Amino acid sequence: MINSTNNVTINKDNSKKLDRKTNVISIIFLNRKFLLLLLFVIIYAFFAIFAHNFNTFQNIESIMIFSVEIGLLALGETLVITSGFGGIDLSVGSMVGLSAIIIGELIGKLGVNMWLAIIIGLLAGMGAGLFNGLMIVYAKIPPLLTTLATMYLYSSLALLISMDQYGNAMPISNFPSAYSIFGQLTILGIPLQFILFFVPITIILYLLVQKTIFGKHLLATGTDEIVAKLSGINVKNIRLWVYTISGLLAAIAALIETSRIASARPDLGSNMNLEAITISVLGGTYIFGGIADIIAVFIASVLVIVLDNGLFLIGVNTIWQTGALGFLLVGALILDLIIRKRSS
Amino acid sequence: MQLLKRRESMILFFIVALIIFFSIVTSGRFASYSNIIQILVNAVPIIISSIGMTMIIITAGIDVSAGSVVGLVGMTVSVLSLQGIWSPYDWIIGLLLGALLGFFNAILIWNLKIAPIIATLATMGIYRSLVFTVSGGRWAIGMPSLLLWIGSGTIFGIPFSIFLMVALIIYFIYFMARRVTGRNIYAIGNNIEAARTAGVPVGKTIFFIYTLAGMLYAISAFAILGRTGLAQSTMGTGFELEVIAAVVIGGTNILGGEGTIIGSLIGALLVAVIEDGIVLANIPPLLTDFVLGALILIAISIDVVIKRREIA
Repeated sequence: MINSTNNVTINKDNSKKLDRKTNVISIIFLNRKFLLLLLFVIIYAFFAIFAHNFNTFQNIESIMIFSVEIGLLALGETLVITSGFGGIDLSVGSMVGLSAIIIGELIGKLGVNMWLAIIIGLLAGMGAGLFNGLMIVYAKIPPLLTTLATMYLYSSLALLISMDQYGNAMPISNFPSAYSIFGQLTILGIPLQFILFFVPITIILYLLVQKTIFGKHLLATGTDEIVAKLSGINVKNIRLWVYTISGLLAAIAALIETSRIASARPDLGSNMNLEAITISVLGGTYIFGGIADIIAVFIASVLVIVLDNGLFLIGVNTIWQTGALGFLLVGALILDLIIRKRSS
Repeated sequence: MQLLKRRESMILFFIVALIIFFSIVTSGRFASYSNIIQILVNAVPIIISSIGMTMIIITAGIDVSAGSVVGLVGMTVSVLSLQGIWSPYDWIIGLLLGALLGFFNAILIWNLKIAPIIATLATMGIYRSLVFTVSGGRWAIGMPSLLLWIGSGTIFGIPFSIFLMVALIIYFIYFMARRVTGRNIYAIGNNIEAARTAGVPVGKTIFFIYTLAGMLYAISAFAILGRTGLAQSTMGTGFELEVIAAVVIGGTNILGGEGTIIGSLIGALLVAVIEDGIVLANIPPLLTDFVLGALILIAISIDVVIKRREIA
């Protein structure tokens, strides 16, 4: 409501951006990718100088490992927010927990074939996301409420599934050794999940948003729903897909995380919801929909992990991670505001 | 039929039905005087905070930093009181701190034009980190009983927090219905541009509600402290979502413009009745969140159906 005027200014900025293509500075600052890369270089250089063991092979590896799961959730969140109608997904963390415990129960307790269990787990994530979409599209419940409700529903469901005969939620840890390929292997020092999941998914989503008709329709839906409808875009279908993809990405994150820690717990991802949204917004996703930069979100997820990791290594309590994230978010938005005022 | 259309009365019927159900299942234990008081005491923090959250949501805003404010205020007053500062001073400091944190939210939202959900998301993280900084990661325990009195004291055998809650509810129902600022809140939620044109001080009102909400969260923190007797760094995590759930079940429109304090009160009571009933009826407590989630969906769906009928 309050920001209703921002939409206009942003469109104005975009057209101005094209006019001034020669102006290098404005390209760097008006393009979220470059801004984040600049931040990345500064932060990285800072920690490389001041933090012991930061710029080492092992540490870079662990940064890559930790950026995958939250990064996937942030990418899903980006699509959801971009679809407009107050799009937001508070249930991504719960979907991680739900998918994780389904895969874990199937493999660990019921002895189902590993690949079959994984497929069922991924389908469960998609189903959970689709349910969100159905409630939002057909029951017309605002996304914030739908996903607030399903956040409770899915995490409770995950706890129920993991319940033993005494009524306690139990983690499952007896995975076959083959299961470790999703989260514990490296190729030439690069974590497998980074090159096998995170990078390809980022590229696919980038192509989906920027190069396909689906992407064009998604951006149009998020920018102005009524105009999109009048142009013959199936707004309902777009939203259903977006929430389903968010569920699928949460399930993939669950697969990777359970493999990495070799354990499936119902509370996996319980505090990842808000972090995923934060990263997405940091990556330039416009909270009222219609503007997304997949590559920038990718950079933002790595940036946040670098920040977490560096702060830890220079001896700042890990508790400040959430605070640093908050400052980073506010800082990025204030920078945005200043740049926009300057350029208009 | 007219009565059924009112969200509040519908949920009230639902509450009564649940009370009867739980009373039968627990062979009367549920409806005992002490248990009813217990339900009310448990609901007090959410009800008090829901007053502020209702106003915020009516202006089409949202505040997800509520839980972190509760944690930061609760921890700060506990640590101060342990260092020997007299409890009434702690209360004043706590209220001022809550107001300050809410004011800071308002600066981000109004002056920097950051969307409320993003602004409060950021401060949620920042305030939570501050809780750990204040506590040093340790529990605060052994606070003077005067500090805890807001949550644990009784007058004529009835917990003080219930009196406090009733007083706040009554005042703010009056405030929203009769005072200019209260009406301005609805005006902003309905159409911010029209409100501005009509001379509503939009900025001032936004600052007022977020600051007030911060103070109400602080009072909730005192009530929680009194009930638990200790402050942990995780105090208040997830609290914001419970408050939002209560407000929304109570019929406040998340898109702004409509909602009532009394609705949020009833929404919070419904949640409290269910949480208490599940424990007493020996239903696995893991189900509580499931019921809460289902309830939000059902309550909103009914709303949507009713609205569609009205249009048709």
